[in-house]
Amino acid sequence: MKKDKKPDMNRSYKWFVLPIYAFTFFFVLGPLIYMLILSFLMRDEVWGVTSTFTFKNYLDIFEPVYLSTFVESLKLALISTVLVAVIGYLFGYFMAKLSAKWKKIMMMLIMIPFWTSSLIRLYGWIIIFRANGTLDTILMSLGLTAEPLKLLYTYPAVVVGMIYALVPFMILSVYSSVEKMDWSLVEAARDLGASSMKAFWTVTFKLTLPGLLTGIILTFVPSMGLFFIADILGGNKVVLVGNLIQEQLMKVHNWPFAAALSVALLLIMTVMIFVYRKITKSKDLEATL
Amino acid sequence: MKKILALALAICMIACMFTGCAKKKETLTIYTWEGMFPQEVLDAFTEETGIEINYAVFDTDETMLAKLQAAKGGDYDLVIADDYIIETAIAEGLVQKLDKKKIENFGNINSVYQGQFYDPADEYTVPYGAGVQTIVYNPENVNIDITGYADLWDPSLEDSVGIISNYRVINGMALKVMGESYNIEDTAKIAEAGKKLQELAPNIRLIKDDNLQDDLLSGEINAAVMYTSQVTMAMLENPNLKVVFPKEGIGFGIMAGFIPSKAPNADAAHKFLDYLLQPEVAAQCFEWLGYYCTTAPADELIHEEFRGFLTLPAEFKAEDMEMIGNVSADALAAHDLAFTEFKSLCE
Repeated sequence: MKKDKKPDMNRSYKWFVLPIYAFTFFFVLGPLIYMLILSFLMRDEVWGVTSTFTFKNYLDIFEPVYLSTFVESLKLALISTVLVAVIGYLFGYFMAKLSAKWKKIMMMLIMIPFWTSSLIRLYGWIIIFRANGTLDTILMSLGLTAEPLKLLYTYPAVVVGMIYALVPFMILSVYSSVEKMDWSLVEAARDLGASSMKAFWTVTFKLTLPGLLTGIILTFVPSMGLFFIADILGGNKVVLVGNLIQEQLMKVHNWPFAAALSVALLLIMTVMIFVYRKITKSKDLEATL
Repeated sequence: MKKILALALAICMIACMFTGCAKKKETLTIYTWEGMFPQEVLDAFTEETGIEINYAVFDTDETMLAKLQAAKGGDYDLVIADDYIIETAIAEGLVQKLDKKKIENFGNINSVYQGQFYDPADEYTVPYGAGVQTIVYNPENVNIDITGYADLWDPSLEDSVGIISNYRVINGMALKVMGESYNIEDTAKIAEAGKKLQELAPNIRLIKDDNLQDDLLSGEINAAVMYTSQVTMAMLENPNLKVVFPKEGIGFGIMAGFIPSKAPNADAAHKFLDYLLQPEVAAQCFEWLGYYCTTAPADELIHEEFRGFLTLPAEFKAEDMEMIGNVSADALAAHDLAFTEFKSLCE
């Protein structure tokens, strides 16, 4: 009986879905195809492209300098993701254990920064980090440092910026899975003699793992492409793939190379997500994403 | 018969209406970056000539070229853009020759900025402001006397130099130290310049394009190679900073006005260019704009506090200057590689 009904449902359903398909086709698939085509063309002398087919753009990626930007990006993405996972998990876990009123307040506090542009929030970090800035003043008045530190335009500054930008995603996904958890299972484990640590690792952690894994994907994927943080807080000295792509587009005017780099980045990310899913066997990742 | 008469009359009336309109409200459409003129200068022009100004804005030279290509050289009466893109626009036939009879003040242009690569015979353009590559430093925090690019390599400047991320300008510093041209095509020489540049990496604290002057003013960096408008802002804020015309030679870029090939009102554009070349108007414009004055008689009208960074020093020789022009795609690729290598070593 169910089978008879289904086609009927689908037919009326289709018309509602059509605009979404059209949108996806024109604004997601279209640009991707455009980028793919662009990546096989030659650049023109000053700017623009000529319609000569070439693999040169892809071969150029294997130039050690350009290759190292991928390594740099992976390194920064890994560092940020690990730190975000630790901070975000703890935060999300304890937030889910708060009273209903405090949960609401915490949620507000996490959401409020999103009301301003992330760029402006990063400039806030400049004010904190710069010479004789907020942090310097505090450290010096506490007598911990004697003279202004060079905090801005350093690697740690970039990492702080990355954590700051990405940690809310981790908190929210961990929070939602801890919140959904059935605490009676933990109580049962404790009743059966497990220490609180053991109960956490065998019950809580395993049950909240999907949330953590979603958070990791939500952190890792964007962190590969966040170029403006390295730009603003790193003084442009950490060259990531994102920076390289932006520079090739805006400064060097080598669009085909920028397109090839983007395609390569896209492929790497796809492979990584695929492998990640194989390893963690999380089949419902699409659902949580 | 009556109908035809009525129709003819109606057409006449409509035609009259249109010509009447055009006469009453002659307009000049200027297409350039935002904030290129003080409002008083534009208002005074309208008052003097009755021509209303319609100011259209682009954010990059490339956008301008794309729009101009789409309009086939029409729509705009006067475009002010960067040198390198003008070369392309002229090559594509999007620019008309100037009628110099209509520009009485044409002779006021500082000859240093004339006859450049994008318009070798000065047939198409009138320069409006130049960016000149200088070094700015804070003598309070710098122990050496900086006179040229080579001094930026000095170990005493460790982790205290800020530069813009224009790879032609920055690689150009190394080329200049090596005694080469900015526009060299030899990729091996460019790679060599890249190696030379890598030795500068320990001194680099910051590479950025926007508001680099803030970092010099706040003491985050002590010496900088930055855009002319940033030098102007820094100097106005802190007149104790020093502006150096590098002894190895100076690179510069020019912004220039040209009239598109099918400009609707080329006449008004000529009038406006002539107006801009009046020394008083020019001085007012350049002080406001913060770029080097390209109108020779205006130099002395520029106020004392601006003169050190808006006009060239008197002892200055034109042969010390070199424009950063278009080079081949191969040379650009070599530049890019050298610059990216350099950047990844800065830490």
